Amino acid sequence: MVDFGRVQKELQECNKDINVSGISVNPKSDNLTSLIGTIPGPIGTPYEGGTFKIDIDLPDGYPFEPPRMKFATKVWHPNISSQSGAICLDILKDQWSPALTLKVALLSIQALLSAPQPNDPQDAVVAQQYLKDYQTFASTAHYWTESFAKTSSLGIEEKVQKLVEMGFPEGLVRSTLEVVDGDENLALEKLCSG
Amino acid sequence: MDSEDDMHDANDVDSYEEDYYSGDAMYSDDDDDAGYEFLDNDSDDSDDALVSRQQKNYTILKEDDIRQRQEDDITRISAVLSISRDSACMLLRRFNWSVSNVHEAWFANEDKVRKAVGLLDKTDIKPPKAGEVACGICFESYPLDKISTAACGHPFCNTCWTAYISTSINDGPGCLTLRCAIPSCGAAVGVDMVNMLASDEEKKKYRRYLLRSYIEDNRKTKWCPAPGCDCAIEFDLGSGSYDVTCHCSYSFCWNCTEEAHRPVDCETVSKWIMKNSAESENMNWILANSKPCPKCKRPIEKNQGCMHMTCNPPCKYEFCWLCLGQWSDHGERTGGFYACNRYESAKQEGAYDESERRREMAKNSLERYTHYYERWATNQSSRQKALADLHQMQTVHLAKLSEKQCQPETQLKFIIEAWLQIVECRRVLKWTYAYGYYLPEQEHAKRQLHQCAEKELHTYLNEDASQDEFNNFRTKLAGLTSVTRNYFENLVRALENGLSDVDAHGASSKTSSSKNAAGTSKGKGGKGKASSKGGAASRNDDSTGWSCDQCTYMNPKTVTSCQMCHTSR
Repeated sequence: MVDFGRVQKELQECNKDINVSGISVNPKSDNLTSLIGTIPGPIGTPYEGGTFKIDIDLPDGYPFEPPRMKFATKVWHPNISSQSGAICLDILKDQWSPALTLKVALLSIQALLSAPQPNDPQDAVVAQQYLKDYQTFASTAHYWTESFAKTSSLGIEEKVQKLVEMGFPEGLVRSTLEVVDGDENLALEKLCSG
Repeated sequence: MDSEDDMHDANDVDSYEEDYYSGDAMYSDDDDDAGYEFLDNDSDDSDDALVSRQQKNYTILKEDDIRQRQEDDITRISAVLSISRDSACMLLRRFNWSVSNVHEAWFANEDKVRKAVGLLDKTDIKPPKAGEVACGICFESYPLDKISTAACGHPFCNTCWTAYISTSINDGPGCLTLRCAIPSCGAAVGVDMVNMLASDEEKKKYRRYLLRSYIEDNRKTKWCPAPGCDCAIEFDLGSGSYDVTCHCSYSFCWNCTEEAHRPVDCETVSKWIMKNSAESENMNWILANSKPCPKCKRPIEKNQGCMHMTCNPPCKYEFCWLCLGQWSDHGERTGGFYACNRYESAKQEGAYDESERRREMAKNSLERYTHYYERWATNQSSRQKALADLHQMQTVHLAKLSEKQCQPETQLKFIIEAWLQIVECRRVLKWTYAYGYYLPEQEHAKRQLHQCAEKELHTYLNEDASQDEFNNFRTKLAGLTSVTRNYFENLVRALENGLSDVDAHGASSKTSSSKNAAGTSKGKGGKGKASSKGGAASRNDDSTGWSCDQCTYMNPKTVTSCQMCHTSR
């Protein structure tokens, strides 16, 4: 059974300093076992300016078993599958410890974005490119960031505007949009029902 | 076959004694007594032969023995190094339960060993004197009595500790190297904490893993592979034959843990078993999609990621998926993580053509294989029958016989001994077919050996018939048992010594089998009529084939005369 007390504490803790870290974790739905994390692309990397969403699934044994995380946003990185978003990171596997938190895991993923480890790759094609032709790698990664990690945030202000005009409070609109991954119609449905 | 019989008879008288002594020269130790008994017709007991049947180069350990040894080792280390039993246990586990290795490493560099095992000398964390402490896992605050710490002093509440330990135990034997939950800490969590915080079932599991570790991590011990058997075998490395027999009466090869297979070597056996495997479809899949870990041999499937593989704990061996070499030898030089130069160059040199060749060979030799397999399998089923008969003899007939002959059952051990010999012979015969399959050029000589050997068996079939001349019969049976044993030892050694020796030993085996033929005819004379009671009678109703009354060979249903000795059904 997931320790929901702890998860709640973690969410509070994490969202407290969201302005400093830029990292947030929010529940996807009512139950606290599936969450969505957001990390900003690290400055000075091809990922700069992008906002990356990460699907988080908490197994029954959490926090004694590692959370299951994968990128929901497509990303071009040697340790992240360009197909499935699977992440090759030791603390999400055998190096997990219950003393770690979701925020620490997300911070590690952010660190992974700044410092790829092509010697232990998840995506061999990307890793090969990273090692043999860094220039092409960097521009591909940048292009992916522009195409996938920014689109939703580009249009999001307009969507927020639209929904606020319908009479919903802005804070609620933003968080709802985040939960449904920026889908305007779904957000409206949710706002109306809840 | 017949002509060979004649030859044996002709040789009977002359070669008898001579052979006996030549046999003696080869076995100057154990078998003398039994042999002389046979010669002198003066044996009142075959127990000597029984006891000295094998000189053991191994020890069978029951669960209690294992625990005792483990406890003794822990006590010794704990006393010599003046550390707690808990720490001693972790140290020993780390050094594969070798007391001498622990001593060596400890006295060479105690700090290094302490660090590697996680035995902290001092802690940087000051224990709070009173009040509440926040648990490092659930982040709730608890009074001190609800908080526990390992040697490092990192505080976690008892509930979290219990869950932490239980997760680890249910994850497998990796729990034996459990550390403090703070990733940078590394303080070991030992059996004391487990006993304090885990549930009874998990404690039991943990103890089980600890026991298994004692056997499995130790180079000199292995579990008996028989299902349901809890014994382990300690083997004196570098001493002769690998065949060992457990208390549960299962015989296996200590080296490859397959069923005992002298005179065939382990590699041949594994090839043969793989070939015969009824699960060949599964096997094909495993072969095609997995590779065995180069260290612990567990099959590993690679489903994603790079060529850098790490085996499951406790093995944790890191290797290159392509060339199976150690990963630490790899890097940029060898083509990085997704390729391997070593593999490529070795492949070009043809080092990996083996599997290709084998496939081709298998196709060509299917027919030959069938020939050998059928014989291997019939010997196998004959052996099963013999085992069943032996069991029946032990449970039913022996008591009856004992009553009839007014002899204590202990005096009838020789009958059991004879049955055991039959079972053993069947086993050897069975494996000679696997041997023969992989050594085509020796086929002819081998067949002769088979045929000679087959004949040894038939004398035992009728052993429970000779109630009239019981004592006479016993003498002869005991003698025959030992003679057959000698003969099979000869055969086995000849085969083990390899091809060059086969011809020479083949000749001596032949003469020694002529001696056996002498024994055979005597045996027949002694028992007079051959009634087939018990097991023998039940043999022929088998739907898969029929067992020859003369030599016990299991023939297919379709033939009317025995394929081995040509006796008609």
